Amino acid sequence: MRSNFFFIVLAFLSLYMLVFVDHAFAYLDPGSGSMLLQLVFGGIAGLGVILKLYWKGFVGLFRHKQHQENDLTPKERDK
Amino acid sequence: MNAICPLPGSFRDPAGRVYDVDGQIFRTIEASFSPEFEFVKSTELLQKLIVDHRLLPFERVEANDVPRFSRETNYVLRVPRLRFVSYPYEWSFSALKTAALLHLEIQLTALEFGVTLTDASAFNIQFHGARPVFIDHLSFRRYRPGEIWTGHRQFCEQFLNPLLLRSFFGVPYNAWYRGTQEGIQARDLSRILKWRHYLCWNVATHVVLQSFFQRSVQNHNLELAKESLPTNALAPGAFRRILKKLHSWISKLMPADTEKTVWQEYTKSHSYSSEEIEHKQRFVSEFVRRERPKLIWDLGCNTGDYCAAALQAGAEYAVGFDNDHGSLELAFARSREQNLAFQALFFDAANPSPNQGWREQERYGLQVRASADAILALAFVHHLAISRNIPLEQLLGWIIGMAPRGVIEFVPKNDPMAKTLLRHREDIFLDYTRESFLSYLEPVAKITGTEIVSSTGRFLVAYERRSKS
Repeated sequence: MRSNFFFIVLAFLSLYMLVFVDHAFAYLDPGSGSMLLQLVFGGIAGLGVILKLYWKGFVGLFRHKQHQENDLTPKERDK
Repeated sequence: MNAICPLPGSFRDPAGRVYDVDGQIFRTIEASFSPEFEFVKSTELLQKLIVDHRLLPFERVEANDVPRFSRETNYVLRVPRLRFVSYPYEWSFSALKTAALLHLEIQLTALEFGVTLTDASAFNIQFHGARPVFIDHLSFRRYRPGEIWTGHRQFCEQFLNPLLLRSFFGVPYNAWYRGTQEGIQARDLSRILKWRHYLCWNVATHVVLQSFFQRSVQNHNLELAKESLPTNALAPGAFRRILKKLHSWISKLMPADTEKTVWQEYTKSHSYSSEEIEHKQRFVSEFVRRERPKLIWDLGCNTGDYCAAALQAGAEYAVGFDNDHGSLELAFARSREQNLAFQALFFDAANPSPNQGWREQERYGLQVRASADAILALAFVHHLAISRNIPLEQLLGWIIGMAPRGVIEFVPKNDPMAKTLLRHREDIFLDYTRESFLSYLEPVAKITGTEIVSSTGRFLVAYERRSKS
């Protein structure tokens, strides 16, 4: 479950990055770990982005869980 | 006329290439990167760094005055040839630390000029003595406020993590670094950290959290933007804070395996001067005055006593090699404090740096870089011949092959140092004798001077290599 949570957070983060890109002259791959870390360092704006992403991830996870429960048959739900 | 090809190690950054033309070093700039370079040049940043001796100077050369390069270029710079090219895996802890601090300082200065660095390769820094100098003029480009620090991961791998390995665990990074060529990944370092290290904010973020993010992304096959980031990802103030905090943290790092007493020994090592050392220093000084070498190498340099003597006698530049990390620290401290043209590097003579990297041509081995006018091998031969089983004849041939002139010391078996090396093992070194030593030298070198320097029969030989007929 924890793994799913981070998957959701990172998926939103990656989407954000893919949408708001500014193509700089760079031949070096900064590395995804470093990129995400620098968003953490990014002051209020960066933290806001991270918190928003985590919140969306949390809500998304909750909805995903509810959706899964609705899909279960009454017999499965009793288990 | 055939076009000249770039140096094989100059391929990573498409912005330009490096060429060695009859000993002159040229750096070319590709048309696509010229506007960036012209912008950086217009900011006067490069000029300031050159004046501060932090960047290698350059001059623009007109296209008509340069040879025909194999790649199209519209900008050519001529840069001074370095005395000796060394690699981060050959540097002592203090040298790598000094280089790391220089990188951060340059990045901080660059930001003031609206410029940033495209990478954080430790190979972009070279040393003149103990003074680091940045050599890559194409690493600078326009800074876009809000963009991330592109070189952060590389800085951690090539500077920070190797320093932490030595600082936390007392484990030298040199062999690991030489193996990977790219330094040490946060992922690898974080696996060996103890819980107490997590209490340090810098470790928790730059190593542990970075590694965690990296793993998460890889484990879930997420594709993040490869070349760029959100325009407001890292505010300029936050960027500067990261750089300043790293600078402050790194400047306090010390090797865990170096006792304080070793540093205190530095003063003692200067006041201490035995008759034998003085004798050897005199011999080396006379040799240097006679032969006038510009570049001298010292194999087994220890703290640099003989390099200092050679420089005082007129040598222009000295490169010392040793495999003792404590000695290298002292040698670096001596060079820095006395502002000597002396550089001390980590080296295992039985396993010196090889040609390696892409196509085994990206980084040169020691043999390829052997350009010394003279070589010193004092109290060196017995360590290799007895401790490492290197055949004496091969060893002498190897030393003499490195430089046309030099001084070699022979330590006989009855010397206390040689006895120490033999105390736990059978003496299988039947040809380790004065007679064999001289007979092995005879065919390859002419002896131009000899002197006994101790009561146990240690003696020095000055040689001149015979030309191959």
